[in-house]
Amino acid sequence: MALIRIEGAFKRYGRTAALDGVSLDVEAGTCLALVGESGSGKTTLLRAVNRLTVLDRGRVLVRGESVAAADPVRLRRSIGYVQQDGGLIPHWTCLANVALVPGLLGLAGPHALGRRALEAAGLNPAEFGARYPRDLSGGQRQRVAIARALAAGPDVVLMDEPFGALDAVARSEAQASFVALRESAGTTAVLVTHDLPEALRVATRVAVMRSGRIVLEAPAGELVERAEGYAAELLRRSGVAG
Amino acid sequence: MRVGTWFAGAGLAWAAWGLPSVAQAPPERVVVASKPFAESYVLAEAFSQLLERGGHRVDRRFGFGSTELVFQALVQGEVHVYPEYTGTGLAAILGETPQGGPDAVFRRVAGEFEARWGLRWLPPLGFENTYAVAMRRAAADSLGVATLSGLAQIAPTLAAGFSPDFVGRADGLPGLANAYQMRFRETRALLQAVKYQALAAGEVDVIDAYSTDGAVARYDLAVLADDRAFFPPYHAAPLVGAAFYAERPEAVRALSELAGRIGPELMRRANERVELDGAPVAEAARRLVAEAGLGGEGSGAADSEAVGRAGASADQAGAPGSAATTAAGDERPPGARRSVRELPAYMWQSRVDLGRQAGRHLLLVLASLGAAVLLAVPAGVLAERRRSLAEASIRFAGLLQTIPGIALLAFMIPVFGIGWAPAVAALFLYSLLPVLRNTFTGIVGAAPDAVESGRALGMTERQLLLRIRLPLAAPVIMAGVRTAAVINVGTATLAAFVGAGGLGDPIVAGLALSDPVMILSGAIPAAALAMAVDWGLAKAEARVAPKGVRERRERPS
Repeated sequence: MALIRIEGAFKRYGRTAALDGVSLDVEAGTCLALVGESGSGKTTLLRAVNRLTVLDRGRVLVRGESVAAADPVRLRRSIGYVQQDGGLIPHWTCLANVALVPGLLGLAGPHALGRRALEAAGLNPAEFGARYPRDLSGGQRQRVAIARALAAGPDVVLMDEPFGALDAVARSEAQASFVALRESAGTTAVLVTHDLPEALRVATRVAVMRSGRIVLEAPAGELVERAEGYAAELLRRSGVAG
Repeated sequence: MRVGTWFAGAGLAWAAWGLPSVAQAPPERVVVASKPFAESYVLAEAFSQLLERGGHRVDRRFGFGSTELVFQALVQGEVHVYPEYTGTGLAAILGETPQGGPDAVFRRVAGEFEARWGLRWLPPLGFENTYAVAMRRAAADSLGVATLSGLAQIAPTLAAGFSPDFVGRADGLPGLANAYQMRFRETRALLQAVKYQALAAGEVDVIDAYSTDGAVARYDLAVLADDRAFFPPYHAAPLVGAAFYAERPEAVRALSELAGRIGPELMRRANERVELDGAPVAEAARRLVAEAGLGGEGSGAADSEAVGRAGASADQAGAPGSAATTAAGDERPPGARRSVRELPAYMWQSRVDLGRQAGRHLLLVLASLGAAVLLAVPAGVLAERRRSLAEASIRFAGLLQTIPGIALLAFMIPVFGIGWAPAVAALFLYSLLPVLRNTFTGIVGAAPDAVESGRALGMTERQLLLRIRLPLAAPVIMAGVRTAAVINVGTATLAAFVGAGGLGDPIVAGLALSDPVMILSGAIPAAALAMAVDWGLAKAEARVAPKGVRERRERPS
């Protein structure tokens, strides 16, 4: 059974259907990218996985368990999360930020885990641990956010435009560091991005969304050849294909 | 049966043991109040001195803001006695129009006050007082005005400055305008303290005065004849509360001693000493009592020198004094007004009182602010989770803020009486808005993306509040507390109008007695206190900001 399974998800905001019947499986150890234009429903779908979004209809299973039945706080502590601006807590040091989830879970030595996570993300804990988020560059902040999401060693991590605010150089560095991290830990990831080249670089599978529906889902390597209609046009506009 | 008898016996024994101890308890202080003008201060101080001479302890609460405030306090039993005028009782309190002479008016108010509130008018003091309308003599002569009818003819070309009481009362301006068909070009409400100066400086042409005014002669004013007999003459008398009258016959007897002894000439002279010579109220009252033939044990003769000295030594012995009376002891020749240059010396002389008043002022501010913080911070936090409630409660607190200070204080009196409680309550209501609004804004604005990611990583709402929102909102909340504190230090000066004390005491007394030095002796410490509070809380504001978001001083790189 897939690590994450979404079955017939519907969600409306007022008169707009954000999710209009989405079903999807994410296998353990893979990285799925949700791509599409703004308003296509990709963030809503991502947030349904850790119950930040409550579905109108349909269900989400994580590790075979319905999230609707789970305690949301425990569920969220078991899933990593990275958002576009990092969402670091500004009055906590980087180390305190990274040690957040181990602390919440009551794990032994949260700071040691935090230091290890910083190191894994390519940041020297001795240099960066005591600094506050405002003293870091955008790229460094984003690495801290990724380290924070992975510090407690979750099997699933959710990422919402994690590299969106970075300049080109910082962006490709952060992407590469993430890929290495994820592959070495074997973490399952769902990544929201509007950037198709990024999706192809980082993810193993890609789902193209439009108006609350998935119009195409394919392994990253087969996306270009299998795209037709809207998906093909989106690829073309992104400069990925013909 | 036996048990019952035992209980009854024990009860009797307890009563027999308990009663004397109750009887021995020192009687409650007599609370003597006044309104905010010189004559009222002098009479209230004379009452106080007579009571103290009779062995009664006195709590002086002089300078109430208006007739309504002091009358309310008397009805509530918070004040025991204050000097009142039968005309005010009739027109301002009963809302009736006068009929008959002063004695008929006295009988009317005495009967009606007792029937309605149980209040007693003690026998009149002996002078009749009434409103009068005055102009500069030179102006009156050149315009050829000698009567109010004559004034009515040229009123549309003149500016009038009347005391606030006069402007609002049926037996004041409204009735006058009606009786004489008098319309002024402009009518300004002027406090006692500035009325005469405004007239002398030509800023206004006409003012209201009292027949016992000390200033009329001194400023060379012409009092216009009331040729249609609109202002009826009134008696002045001690007005006492119901319970006080019933329970303290000896104190009432002491107050009645002045009956019929203060003629108009004595009263005018006493007012003159205070208003024009700058004599301390305690001193003027002592001389008035002496001149009234009550100059102390055994000596009926009015040797004012001797009495003055005896009184001064009584003051040094630690007799309680209010702000108005604390300046006792400074020797000055009659006719010498205190000049502003004497302010430092005066403040030094009054340092003990000013210190006490500043302490009380600060306590008023702290108590009200503390209560506001205890309510408004949790309310502001709750409001973040219920936005509809937030808007309503912030709007309500904003509404409270628009009520003028003195009105808010007046609203509090029926609920809390006078003194400390209504002042703290009013200041509390004023503090709510800044603290509530800043708490709400601070909580809402506290790094929403950090809150969002904290929630996504499994922080509970409580953890989000305590570990992210409140620490980040702390400087914003503190800024609200700072705003409220500075507003409160200013507004608390009004608390003197309801007998709460504080630095408003010398300000109110100074306004009533036209004494700028006394006003400044309260106003300067009040301003300094506001600045100190602002400075201190600005420091606190910077200190509560968490380290990662605290403003940094620019360092050269």
